[in-house]
Amino acid sequence: MRAHLESLLRARKLDVTLATAEPWQRRSADDLAATGLAVLDEALGGGLRRGHLSEIVGTRSSGRTTAVCHTLASAASRGEAVALIDTFDRFDPASAAAAGLDLSKLLWVRERGDAVRALKAMMLVLQAGGFGVVAFDLTDVRPPALRAFPFTTWLRLARMIEGSETVALLVAAERLARSPGGASLLLESPPEAARARWTGASSRSRLLRGVTLRPRAVHGGR
Amino acid sequence: VRIPSYDDLTPSIPDVSAGDVFASTRRLLPAPGPVAGGGAPDEDGPAGTALFACLRSTRLPSAILDVARDFSPRVQRHAADAVVLDVSGLGRLLGSPVRIGAELFKALSSQLSAVSRQLADSCQPTADSSGRVSIAPTQIATLLLTLGEAPLTVVTGNVAAALASLPLRILQQFMAEVHGVTVLRKLSRPAAAAALARSPWPAWPACEQAFDVLQRWGLTTLGEFAALPAADLSARMGQSGVALQQLARGRDPRPLVPDPDVPRFVERMELEWPIDALEPLSFVLARLLDPLAGALERADRAAAAIRLDLRLVDRSSHARVLQLPVALRDARVLRTLLRLDLESHPPSAAIDVVTIEIDPAPGRVIQYSLLERAMPSAETLAALTARLGALLGEGRCGTPALLDTHRPDAFEMHRFDAPAPDPRARSRGEAAPASGSEITPCIRRFRPPVAVRVRIERGRPLYVAVDRRGMPGGHVVQAAGPWRSSGAWWQHDEPWDRDEWDVELSEGSVCRLFRDRRAGGWFLDGVLD
Repeated sequence: MRAHLESLLRARKLDVTLATAEPWQRRSADDLAATGLAVLDEALGGGLRRGHLSEIVGTRSSGRTTAVCHTLASAASRGEAVALIDTFDRFDPASAAAAGLDLSKLLWVRERGDAVRALKAMMLVLQAGGFGVVAFDLTDVRPPALRAFPFTTWLRLARMIEGSETVALLVAAERLARSPGGASLLLESPPEAARARWTGASSRSRLLRGVTLRPRAVHGGR
Repeated sequence: VRIPSYDDLTPSIPDVSAGDVFASTRRLLPAPGPVAGGGAPDEDGPAGTALFACLRSTRLPSAILDVARDFSPRVQRHAADAVVLDVSGLGRLLGSPVRIGAELFKALSSQLSAVSRQLADSCQPTADSSGRVSIAPTQIATLLLTLGEAPLTVVTGNVAAALASLPLRILQQFMAEVHGVTVLRKLSRPAAAAALARSPWPAWPACEQAFDVLQRWGLTTLGEFAALPAADLSARMGQSGVALQQLARGRDPRPLVPDPDVPRFVERMELEWPIDALEPLSFVLARLLDPLAGALERADRAAAAIRLDLRLVDRSSHARVLQLPVALRDARVLRTLLRLDLESHPPSAAIDVVTIEIDPAPGRVIQYSLLERAMPSAETLAALTARLGALLGEGRCGTPALLDTHRPDAFEMHRFDAPAPDPRARSRGEAAPASGSEITPCIRRFRPPVAVRVRIERGRPLYVAVDRRGMPGGHVVQAAGPWRSSGAWWQHDEPWDRDEWDVELSEGSVCRLFRDRRAGGWFLDGVLD
């Protein structure tokens, strides 16, 4: 009976509040925004769902910023306008361009550390509409400041993009919120595992080769 | 240059009988060839119902156009400080040409005096309020007469005779004005060449040469020049000499080509009670912008810039100019932009008078497509950028553009525009090129870099200590470097010279450190994340 009701709601596009997500394999490619990284897309089942609030969570040097830059780059390569709300003005245009991001399609909003003002900017961008991906970088905001936000804040964010083609993406050190159809992409790794990959046997010839992403996606109901 | 239509020429065509058709045609379209006959001009000039006036003011050229448009819709600007207007039909309204000239001179004097007073009130350098007016049956005659000494000259009969006493340098001055270098230098080289090709006047090098020859011949007045035999003049100076002689005889090289009347989009409201808050001012702005938006729509124009002038109760003026990213005419968007700008730059006192002027631009033609993805509209982006600017401060949002330098973190912010449809963009569902799980990390930069203490052993960093809370620090597990970069050493303002290290700390962070070789300290540039 429950499955029948849920299928009826989905047929009428009234499924945004369902706690049980539809199996991701059934999503059409139009509903998903690929991140551009195979390891992330595989974990997400194809990409981030449009019209929903998702989050990327991880510790320092776990690849959060890299994942965001590739997600923005992938959306920009599809011709979409993208936006980044940068709470602490830490975005590096050069490395993002090296990751393939077309900077001319990026609206970069630079806040000096005030999370409340950054949240207002995020709401203004979402209200304007028309962006493919809007990322909200809360990575370096202290947990007490994040917990000061009322829980309805994230509900309002999710409600603002409901039914639109925008992917709202929170980037933080700990899990904040996601809409029922969104995903939580966890980039945490065990402490004993090396994140960075180095080349070169001697100290003189050593070179940073890259970082390893170990994503784990959590969808609604899983 | 617009080709004159029949309607443009009609007011200049006098009422003539059948027998006068040939003479009238010759007057409107003077023969380009040399004038046959002896030493004197073969006719007295195109006397008739055609009547032109010229207004000239060297110091306040903007005022003469307003005066000219008050008297006639057929106005042509000839130089920066001279306009010619067709006053043929004004006889029935004002009377004789002398009366028309007097009215024109009176209006010009009062206008120039008013502008001079305004400039004096605003503590700007006081301008010379002198102006000159001339009336004659041909345009060239009016233009030459205003270069003379008399403030008001009216010629109704023989134009050549009226010009005969003028010194030859007046014609030379006029030709230099026509070929003004200040005008031509604003044009690109092909545009200047095209403008000269369309010009009815002789080329300036030929004019210079001709005036040198005339000076050597001992000619001093226009009358002496006009009296030369045209055929002999053509043999010695060519067509440029003949064309100059036609001008000296007061014959127009072409009919009047009126400048298109550019409408002004201005709304003004004097308030009964001063407004000292932005909220009530928003309603006033709406009252002014709604009719302006309607006028723009009727004229198929949009606003390229908004000029807001607020006269305050302390008799000062608060002026703001908003350059719009795209041409807009949505009254709500314009009001929002003005309101946000005033929130950032509020007036210093209560407001008495509100004036809004819009610089028009051609309206945008947008063709929407079902095959292109939806983008934020230009209006939406303009309002969004203004709101973000009001919230975060100017220059805190936009599009980054990398600079062509090796300096770390070198970029500049540009205005964000909606991306143009890109046919090469991948389709929406198509996945981007896949990457492996091991990828080049992006860096999170600290602006400015954080000062750290680094313990060095055998030239390599061993331990990183940071005083600020929340910053990475600890034992260095792996390190790669140093990568030396330097630049701008030839400048004294911002040279850089540093050794960079990529280090992995015991806490798991991968950071970029650098040692400033000029200052000698260590800094945390960012975290590879």
